Amino acid sequence: MTQPDLAANASAADLSAIPAGARGMSDTGLARTGALARAVARSVEVAGLLAIFGISFEMTARLQDWVRFRMPILSTVTAEEDLMVRDASGAHGRPNAQYRKWIMDSLGLRGPDVPVTKPAGSVRVIVTGASETFGLYESPDQEYARQLEDTLNARLHAGACPGRTPVRFEVLNAAFAGMTLPTVSQDVRARLARLRPDIVVFYPSPAQYLDVRAPAAATPDSSGKSNELPRMNVLHPRSLDALRDEVKSLMPGPLLSWLRRRSVQATLRQHPAGWRYTSIPVTRLARFDGDLRDLVGTVRTIGAEPVLATHATAFSRPRADSAALIQAWERFAPRATGNVIIAFDDTARVTTMRAAADSNVLVSDVSMALARAPGDNFADFVHFTDHGAAIVANALAPTILQAAGRRAECGR
Amino acid sequence: MLFNSVVFLFAFLPVTYLGFWGLRTTRARHIWLAISGYVFYGYWNPWFTLLMLFSTLVSYFAGLGFLRWTDPRHRKLCLVIPVTTDLALLGFFKYANFGLDTFHSALQLFGQQVTVPHLNIILPIGISFYTFHTISYIVDSYRGNITPTRSFFEFAAYVSLFSQLVAGPIVRFRTIEADLEALGATSRTRWLTRGISFFIVGLIEKVVVADSLAAFVDPALAHYHLLSSAGAWLAMLGYTFQLYFDFSGYSTMAVGLGYLFGLRIPQNFNSPYKSLDPSEFWKRWHISLSTCLRDYLYIPLGGNRHGEYQTYRNLMLTMLIGGLWHGAAWTFVGWGAYHGALLALYKRYGRPWDRLSRGTRQVGMFVLVVVGWVLFRSTSFGMAMSLLHTMFVPTGGLLVEQPVLAVGLLAIATWWGMIGPNVYDMEHAFTLRRRVVLTAAFGASLALIVGSPFSPFLYFQF
Repeated sequence: MTQPDLAANASAADLSAIPAGARGMSDTGLARTGALARAVARSVEVAGLLAIFGISFEMTARLQDWVRFRMPILSTVTAEEDLMVRDASGAHGRPNAQYRKWIMDSLGLRGPDVPVTKPAGSVRVIVTGASETFGLYESPDQEYARQLEDTLNARLHAGACPGRTPVRFEVLNAAFAGMTLPTVSQDVRARLARLRPDIVVFYPSPAQYLDVRAPAAATPDSSGKSNELPRMNVLHPRSLDALRDEVKSLMPGPLLSWLRRRSVQATLRQHPAGWRYTSIPVTRLARFDGDLRDLVGTVRTIGAEPVLATHATAFSRPRADSAALIQAWERFAPRATGNVIIAFDDTARVTTMRAAADSNVLVSDVSMALARAPGDNFADFVHFTDHGAAIVANALAPTILQAAGRRAECGR
Repeated sequence: MLFNSVVFLFAFLPVTYLGFWGLRTTRARHIWLAISGYVFYGYWNPWFTLLMLFSTLVSYFAGLGFLRWTDPRHRKLCLVIPVTTDLALLGFFKYANFGLDTFHSALQLFGQQVTVPHLNIILPIGISFYTFHTISYIVDSYRGNITPTRSFFEFAAYVSLFSQLVAGPIVRFRTIEADLEALGATSRTRWLTRGISFFIVGLIEKVVVADSLAAFVDPALAHYHLLSSAGAWLAMLGYTFQLYFDFSGYSTMAVGLGYLFGLRIPQNFNSPYKSLDPSEFWKRWHISLSTCLRDYLYIPLGGNRHGEYQTYRNLMLTMLIGGLWHGAAWTFVGWGAYHGALLALYKRYGRPWDRLSRGTRQVGMFVLVVVGWVLFRSTSFGMAMSLLHTMFVPTGGLLVEQPVLAVGLLAIATWWGMIGPNVYDMEHAFTLRRRVVLTAAFGASLALIVGSPFSPFLYFQF
């Protein structure tokens, strides 16, 4: 047996039997063992405390979600993206799902539950589009779709429909973040038709046409597999999401700007020179125009009245943070320079108006309404604040009333 | 910058702490504390640091004046000039519009239609607190209660001490002078565990209790005219505890932060809702303010030395000014008058009250305090009267949001505020059990901080 082994196995009583010279070695060994034991104990304690910290943080974050939004503590939904589902009819909102303030009904629409069959005497309006329509930054129930329902019904009670008066307007929000125009057409055809809407309002997101690939309809998936969210998702740490958001919000402007620039440059490096749009891509604009006209036709085939809206951006009014906002937008559409994105959006507005005129479709110039409205209307480059959403609702309401009049649902 | 913010917890505090203990000399630590105070204050609005610097310089030179001159004339000048300057700044930033509005209302009352301008003034956060610091320093120097410091940085560190800069406690130079002068020799570990423990307890008071109560109190009081009697009581009871835990939480964190930097900041709250009478309440609530009001206002006015009537008058005047210090509105003056009246009534008719059982007196005093908070919270006397009417005359209407949760929260707050221990009654030794509890509490608080909307301290507005 070696000296260290001896020391490790010796009890305090045994030590006295060891000769003095050998005991010196044993003491060193014991001291080492003691230090090691203390270090292990300390590490275990620190790890334990860190675990307690993490569990407490996570449990509180979940409890807070439940208290504030009634979001289930053991939900498998871990992000806004999980609120979208792919099935035989394409891509649409996930029925009965919830992520924090975003609550989907049994039909996969954002908002309160509605029956499939339209209640007698009501005018059913479906609004559709991407994140601007779905609502990102607004307070719960302040996205423009919800405000539009209130605005329409308030106008109804104020006598906006003299003569034939519907009982009420019902506004359904069929949008989801990232929903492309061809997917909207697909959704209208394959899924929304059975809801028998009277009016379908479309709010476009033209910048999608500056994406790496031109937007296409979602590929239908009838396997049903992709609809299931993994059970393990319940373990997804919401605390980390919250911390990440907090850190992002605290990032100094120059650092944020540098990170965005780096992200865009990384994308550009993966593509050949000249890949980036430095002027408005005419083919993409034509595609937008074609898809828009296709949607109008689709809406008409299901027997509903289409209403188009022009897309608004935060740049229609001078802002101190314009440069930072453009840079933020470039990250989402790296194929185009900031100036091209804005110019494309402006041209898309004209295209939307022209497509509406050509197709005899009512159009609401939301872009102009927001450009004229003072106050903080945008939470970022295109998404609305509560106030901005109210302006959109107010801009859309007269056009929808007019569309209802066309269908003899209102005013005749 | 808020104590309950990620930037404070994970950037400002660690940098300030490490920098402070990395320095060795008292002077270097004074300079570091002064700089950190200005960074802390300037994070909100850099321009207002100039105002604080001006106020600091005026008071510092007044202190040097007291050291230089012994003749009463010069000493009086060293008292009057800086105090007038400080009060003029406070008056302009805090009370100018209040004065103009009152003048306008008075003219209207007499049938005069005159346009009185409304000045576009931003109230610098914490001006009431640091003005109190500088004035108390000047008055104490004048009275000879303290020897003014010759070190500008020691004085600047005292005025701009970030832990108590914007919402107190009001720390008088004499209470912190010894610690400030011994900063170079202070042990880092001596108060460390106590500091951490205090800070986390304060964080729980603010983030877990006060902010959770605010979630149902604020929406309810925003629509006070729609509340039922039960709703009004729930909202006002909620506000009563929200205000206490918010302010007590801030003070507890301030004391904890003081310990982390080797400074002993005095106690500001001693479970005020355990008070049995108005006099005891003011010995337990915002102790640093009430002692300042006593020493710099009530006693100079004559205190209770000139008969019964003068005592009531002095009490009333002190409380009226105390009310006005809280905010530039007549409702605060009304709140001060109400407490002045309670103190005077207790002084006159206290004996029958003292014969009541302990429980009756505690509950009775608590209800009286709640009634006072109605005035304090209301934006107008109309709102106060409406709330009081709803509370005391059975009225139908709405309850608060999520009433079951609200009642649960209130039960916890009531236990802690009226029965349970305050931070000074707790053990602060770092036993394993306590480490576990504090770690879990910090985790929960942090989750609420990052997951909740911006939540400033209520006393920032004062």
